[in-house]
Amino acid sequence: MSDIIRREEFGDVAVLHITSTSVDAVSAAAIAAEYEQMRPITVLDFSEVSFINSGGISALLKFVVSARKSGYKLFAMNVSPHHQKIFKMVEMSRFMPPIDERDLAEFR
Amino acid sequence: MQRIELSIPSNPIFERVVRASAAELGIAFGFSDERVEDLKLAISEAVNNAIDHGNHGEVNKLVAVVFEIDGEKLEIRISDQGSGMEHPDISRHVIDEQSLESGHLRGFGLYLISELVDDYEVNSSQKGTVLTLRLYRREEQS
Repeated sequence: MSDIIRREEFGDVAVLHITSTSVDAVSAAAIAAEYEQMRPITVLDFSEVSFINSGGISALLKFVVSARKSGYKLFAMNVSPHHQKIFKMVEMSRFMPPIDERDLAEFR
Repeated sequence: MQRIELSIPSNPIFERVVRASAAELGIAFGFSDERVEDLKLAISEAVNNAIDHGNHGEVNKLVAVVFEIDGEKLEIRISDQGSGMEHPDISRHVIDEQSLESGHLRGFGLYLISELVDDYEVNSSQKGTVLTLRLYRREEQS
């Protein structure tokens, strides 16, 4: 269990709430370590994240690679408009599309 | 002209110190919230490049950051103590199936910088690399 990921599971769904405000080189290893425990539907919650850089994006890509290998679905939730812009620049949104909390409620 | 200088050891935790300083400076310069976020990310990428690729993470090597405000221009110079970069890759770099398959999950830094600042230049020699970023105050900003 990571100090900077709070995990919530129901059915086939895992919601990983990132509790670090910075997804960067410092927090990357702890965040990336969680990719080994993905569920068929995994959601990364960015509601507490105020900063993401390329080191953080590299950590998030571990989830993308793992989801593709396992045939799992990966979503991003509560991504700020600025981070949506950055995700669009690097085309992260193709591989980790956004999901609304109300859509997630269907799985509960 | 107003000038601020910082010097940090090559440890990523101190990149956060530079980033926080850049945010305060961007606010003081009158940038919008979105532009401050762009500035923070561009500087973060530049400093991490200097730590990782310039100084190769050797903590005794320093990364120097100089902020200069000159009228409507904010210029930031990030210098490392490495041995220079031969071919800085500033090409567009996005995530695609091929990079995911090959495990090539890094290398977005200079591309992001090129998208986020008004202009930039890379000067590299055997004494190290200096990355200069420039952002200009725009009329629509408060």
